[in-house]
Amino acid sequence: MEFRQGNVEADGFIVRYWEAGQGRPVIMLDQAGWRDTPLHEALAEKYRIFALELPGTGDSAANMVSKSIKDLASVAAGAAASLASDRYTLIGTSYGAHIALWQTLTFPEQVEALILISPTAIKPLGSFETTTQKFHDSMFAHIETSKRFVPMPADVFVKESRLMGRLKIGIHDFEVESQLADIHCPTLAIFGKDDRLVSSEAARIYREKIPNCNIAIAYDAGHCIVGDRPEALINSVIDYAEHWETFIVGHKSGIINP
Amino acid sequence: MKASLFAGMGYSERHKFPFTWPVPPAYADPDISVRSYKEGMDECELAEAVGFDWLSFSEHHYSGRITTGTPAVIAAAVAERCKKIKIAVLGHLLPLNNPVRVAEELALLDNLTDGRLVAGFLRGTPNEDQVYSVNPAEGRGRLLESMDLILKALTEPQPFSWEGRYYQYRTVSVWPRTVQQPVPPVIVGTRSDDTIRYAAENRLGLGVSFLPVDEVAVITNKYRHWCEEAGWTPGPDDIVYRGSIYVAETDELASKWFEGLMRSKPGPNIPLRRTVAEAIQSARTGGPFDLRGLVAGSPEGDVVGNALGINFLGGPDTVVKQMKEFHDRCGVGVIDMPFQQNNVDHKAVLEELALFGKHVIPQLREV
Repeated sequence: MEFRQGNVEADGFIVRYWEAGQGRPVIMLDQAGWRDTPLHEALAEKYRIFALELPGTGDSAANMVSKSIKDLASVAAGAAASLASDRYTLIGTSYGAHIALWQTLTFPEQVEALILISPTAIKPLGSFETTTQKFHDSMFAHIETSKRFVPMPADVFVKESRLMGRLKIGIHDFEVESQLADIHCPTLAIFGKDDRLVSSEAARIYREKIPNCNIAIAYDAGHCIVGDRPEALINSVIDYAEHWETFIVGHKSGIINP
Repeated sequence: MKASLFAGMGYSERHKFPFTWPVPPAYADPDISVRSYKEGMDECELAEAVGFDWLSFSEHHYSGRITTGTPAVIAAAVAERCKKIKIAVLGHLLPLNNPVRVAEELALLDNLTDGRLVAGFLRGTPNEDQVYSVNPAEGRGRLLESMDLILKALTEPQPFSWEGRYYQYRTVSVWPRTVQQPVPPVIVGTRSDDTIRYAAENRLGLGVSFLPVDEVAVITNKYRHWCEEAGWTPGPDDIVYRGSIYVAETDELASKWFEGLMRSKPGPNIPLRRTVAEAIQSARTGGPFDLRGLVAGSPEGDVVGNALGINFLGGPDTVVKQMKEFHDRCGVGVIDMPFQQNNVDHKAVLEELALFGKHVIPQLREV
């Protein structure tokens, strides 16, 4: 599947995005360095997806303008509204999920369904590493898996770390926690069982507070589930995007010899 | 040290079986099997009365020698008759089972016994992979994932989905919660490094079965080392050794019994056709297996299996000495013992249990 690159203006920023596929729109807010994964490929087979590069992340210029994570959510919502012709499924990964929470709370009319992958908004473990290599290694359940992927460039790591520090990303967001009950769209929160960056206790908070929320645990996966267990992540995300809360209903045949 | 009766609930006429596995159900007479379960429960009651600390039940299939294919069922029945003793399910064969079902059974048992449950996680002997057609090559992976899922299911207060390698459940929400929080004591029965390490890293107990003391010491030393690395020290109830026993009034009487046993030329414990045994082993280890390279049958017969052994044999003082060695060299705190040997009938088991209670248990208390 070929992804086409484009730019869209939102809140005074030029936001780069990658687009592929046809169908209902899906907006993806990814953790840096993970905008080209088997999950993107699988989603593009069924949906029209837009993966956004938010200001200050990836190859974009340093973002000294945004004052809060809500500001970034506003940029994401502006870009998404320009790109998507209809309400969309919003998928956020890691701090992208934190932004997605605010985007859903602030622009609920835009978001049809919300999928949070390893969200850092609630109970982050405060162990974000100080070098790109250490940070990279901490994202996986096994060091052998981390070696199959390239850490983000040091300059991007420094740039994003400064932005995250300034916007208080990676710190428990009590304000967003207090508003989770206001998220009324179907929501799935997926966690790696061996995530070293977010406490496993976070999952139950989403489940308890968001009215229509399922939580899923990916076995033998760390923070970067798409690196550790891509098939498990794709399976649950695609199923949820397709069926929302009814994804719990078994639909695979058990017949062996018809 | 503590004493545990491994309650196999063996069919009382098990000495009449051929040495095959599975044992054909044609050998089971319902009148005799009903009587056998009653006898097994009587043995449990006596064990509790004479001072045993645990009663253990283990999942084994397709044989009348140990007739507890569904250990939670027999554990629940015995727990109603034995009101104070620990009820140890040592254990479920996890690769064969639905892990969520196992979690539900354990939670229910812990409630029925008001917190007397000890749980056990096992992979199972090679023959048992065949019971529910599990690929032997996947047993290790299934065991490791099952343990994670069961512990999660027992401790997670909110419904969750599980996206595993071998198991996928979109709604897990186990009721009731266990009486013992966060989970009942868990013994992982294993000899394999990855599972020993798992037990250590997850603060679970370790169970080792039927090996000689030197080999057990190697395993428990690894376990204790990895526990230390994980920041904790296992207590006496955390290391369990399962060994078969025959205790008599004197060493001479025990030796005489053992000589009689040997004269009867007992067959292997888990007899399998050689081709099947080798196919399972190569699947488990990932080695090559080519049936065409084998000649059917052999001069020794066409079955292979574990040699029959007795781990504790002698009069009370000798047996205590043998058990103390496991304590001193391996850190074993609980000895789990099957008394139902092939040529020992119900009456003799009761006599042994009484003897054990009178002369062995008081000495074990001092260890």
